[in-house]
Amino acid sequence: MFYEKSPGMFRTLVRRNSRRNRKENSLFFLSLLISIIAFYIVLSLSSQDVMLFLQKMESDAVNKLMAMIPLFYGMTLIILFFLIYYAGSFQMERRSHEFGMYLMFGLRRPKLFLLLLAEDFSGSVLALVIGIPVAVLISELTSLVTAKVVGLGIIGHQSSFSLRAVLWTAVGFLLIKSAAFLVLSGKIVRQEVGSLLLDTPKGVKKQKPAAVYLLSLLVGLVCLTAAFGMAAGGISWSQIDKMGYTLALGLLGTAFLFYGLRFAMDFLARRGNRASLSADPRRVKEDCSFQNLQVFDFRQLEETVIHHSGAMAVSFLLILAALCCFGSGVAIARDNNWSKDHVLDYTFSDEAENEKTVLADRGLDTYFSSLFEMKVGHIRTTEDYEHAFQMETVMDALAGLPESYAREILLNNLGYATAPRLISLTGYNMLLDAAGLPVLKLEKGEAGVYIDPEFTDDERTRILNEILSKEPEAVLDGTAIRLTGEVQTTALVTDRMLTLSFALILPDEQFEYYTQGDYSVYLNGILGNEAVEGKSLLQAISAMNQKLDEAGLPYESYLQNMGRQLFYTVASSYLTIYLAIIFLVVANTVIGVQFLMGQQKAGRRYRTLVRLGADYGTLCRSAARQINWYFGIPVVLAAIASLFGERALLTGLLSFEMRESIPEMIRLSVPMLLLLFAVEYLYIMLVRRTSARYLLTLMEPEREE
Amino acid sequence: MENIRTENILEIDFLSKYYGGKSQNQTKALDGVTFQVLEGEFLGIMGSSGSGKSTLLNCIAAVIRPTAGKIALRGAQIQDMEGKELAEYRGKKIGYLFQNFELLDNLTGRENILLPLSLHGISEKESRERLRQLADYLEIADVLDKFPAQMSGGQKQRVAAARALIMKPELVLADEPTGALDSRNAKVLMEKLSGLNRDENATILMVTHDSGAASYCRRILFIRDGRIIHELRRDTPEETQQMFHGRILKVMAQMGGGSENVL
Repeated sequence: MFYEKSPGMFRTLVRRNSRRNRKENSLFFLSLLISIIAFYIVLSLSSQDVMLFLQKMESDAVNKLMAMIPLFYGMTLIILFFLIYYAGSFQMERRSHEFGMYLMFGLRRPKLFLLLLAEDFSGSVLALVIGIPVAVLISELTSLVTAKVVGLGIIGHQSSFSLRAVLWTAVGFLLIKSAAFLVLSGKIVRQEVGSLLLDTPKGVKKQKPAAVYLLSLLVGLVCLTAAFGMAAGGISWSQIDKMGYTLALGLLGTAFLFYGLRFAMDFLARRGNRASLSADPRRVKEDCSFQNLQVFDFRQLEETVIHHSGAMAVSFLLILAALCCFGSGVAIARDNNWSKDHVLDYTFSDEAENEKTVLADRGLDTYFSSLFEMKVGHIRTTEDYEHAFQMETVMDALAGLPESYAREILLNNLGYATAPRLISLTGYNMLLDAAGLPVLKLEKGEAGVYIDPEFTDDERTRILNEILSKEPEAVLDGTAIRLTGEVQTTALVTDRMLTLSFALILPDEQFEYYTQGDYSVYLNGILGNEAVEGKSLLQAISAMNQKLDEAGLPYESYLQNMGRQLFYTVASSYLTIYLAIIFLVVANTVIGVQFLMGQQKAGRRYRTLVRLGADYGTLCRSAARQINWYFGIPVVLAAIASLFGERALLTGLLSFEMRESIPEMIRLSVPMLLLLFAVEYLYIMLVRRTSARYLLTLMEPEREE
Repeated sequence: MENIRTENILEIDFLSKYYGGKSQNQTKALDGVTFQVLEGEFLGIMGSSGSGKSTLLNCIAAVIRPTAGKIALRGAQIQDMEGKELAEYRGKKIGYLFQNFELLDNLTGRENILLPLSLHGISEKESRERLRQLADYLEIADVLDKFPAQMSGGQKQRVAAARALIMKPELVLADEPTGALDSRNAKVLMEKLSGLNRDENATILMVTHDSGAASYCRRILFIRDGRIIHELRRDTPEETQQMFHGRILKVMAQMGGGSENVL
């Protein structure tokens, strides 16, 4: 046998076959490349600028995320394994006749296995050689762009290249590739030569009465409507079993819908018949590019729908998942407006005495344009300090308001506000001054109301302000005081050292009296221009942190505040967008590969069409129409479903306050939908090009023979 | 006689098709074949495997390009056609009947028959009457809405015949149309084709090695090694089909005997 006697021949065959595989199934090769890129990006996440930066601030959360990476890696492995298996099985099926020929020539089965293995391996290595540099480049770009977007460019870019990530990418990729290969080639090599040589069976499936498909279509629609209704109405999120029902309904509905689509296709094909029957001949002539092969197109689609309704349903679910992930990721990221209301850069806790002196000793005070003390203490004038404060007028006023969600929360929260902390007016006014807000003026016997921004929202603040405008009386340790001014919500410290759900701001004298001089002092600092000059604020804070660490002063900086929010933003948007891309790639590859392989199986039909007088342009237009429909069905259905899906997801995942801005968030997701349609367009064009190339092969060789 | 007024519809002039370049291994599939087909004629082409009869048919159907010579359908040179003109020729001027039917298995009978119309953007309205006539004549009216998998071999070939005839082509090319049929269905098909030739004056050029099918023709060309070596003409109306069949068998026996000089 020539292969066995001549290793050179074997190598040539391997090389030529792999090159042909890549050319004929470029979509499959592309999905291999994307798998590699996906692996690398998820694995190199920890080397990205943003993550390196956050590691310093929020090491706990970042570490938790990093601990999840192997999980993501594993999940990606599984998803991509199925993709490679699926796309590979088509390739093997298409070549089965060729394998049969090899065996007929006398190639032994182990040798055939070796041939396939060598082809597969050379393909994998090439994919890695091309894929890894591209992945490194994309990862680097993502790192730079993210850093730029969140304003970290300043921290100094570090290469995100990670050898560990490269190694794991290669290992993971080769692992799934070999696993898929073993299963597929095992199937092929075990087959009888005769069955390999046989042309792929035509696969005529038993037709059921049209009513069955119509019923299935209707049942599918009903199930899906019910599932989305449950999810968007919030029913599904209340209990795990209800979520289970929703999920089951959704999956069942999808399966039924796609099974029943055959009815729609049959209907369209028959309508195509009728349309051409009733059309005016002259007009038909003009529209011939439109009318040509319409019936054929729908019959082709119908066949695919019958044979692959399962795969189509899976593609639909994947695109839907991708759309929901993408939309939510972007919406959540955009909603997290972490840079607003930033006043303070630093707060030093009162654990260390004389922070100011320490700063001055080290010459660090000169970096601050402002350093002021925020005094906060408990009521110390009474033993019964738990019930030292009552504000019945306020509570009555609240209770008299029309019922609303905000009122309920206020009634509940303020009901516990019987032992408020006290804040000294001078410190608070310095804070207001720094924030550029009008200072608070309080007379003796007056108090301002402070609520931390985390405990209120616009609606609640508005209600309280309305009540406070009447200057209601309250009782503080048996003495009447008037609550005046507006509700104060400027954060007392830079991050989370102190968050108060309800506090009273008192003139300094009263403050000293009620606290009996026993209070905490938080030293707030705002960096001066010199410290920030030439750098961004974040870099200035980073530099300052280093100096403060050396001084051993306990402090918190704005970096932590920002870092935490940045982390959630980055983590949620990063991972959802990553998942969206994976889902989208898998779905599109499945659809594309399925179409192209189906087209090759129907090669004989196309040849018949050529003999009946179809020219190349007609065939290409027909294929293009089929491709549009083929991609269009799952994509458009998924886009429609995503409008409900997005709503359902946001209903379930977001807090009540955020739910109110859902229409806003859905609006934000619309550009994402458009972007996704752009991705689909690219895939459609790619598949069209491949299909046109294949159709050309049907036109040419027969003519030349 | 009526035949005097009929004219040549197809003219084949020194048609050659060589494979294998100019090397010693060159195969001459067709070697200077010349003949004419009259309008309304039912012409058979017979020969053993590899004699060149299918190559001849494929050259006329413009599926393969000849090495030399000319093919003219009503004066139009087929060998020079390209692109749209070629597609028009294949779709409108000729109808092709395949040995294995080549029906698209995912289209109903009706859709298969109307496929050529769809390809050339012609309204079905014009051909509705034509479809009805053909369906009635070929006895396929009740399978029009069935898929090929639900039809018998004979029905499939008759649907294929309707597809070949729906555009009223000037020439019907049939490549072993009975090859995949049992004798009963083959007989039905040949009677139908012969009837169409007689009643509608359809010009049919059929390649076959089935003497029974060939006996329906009015003239038969015998081809061997790419050359026409003999011609039989049925003497209608004196000669019955059975007598003609007998003559065909005789020629075939002589050819099969390997005699250089058949006559």
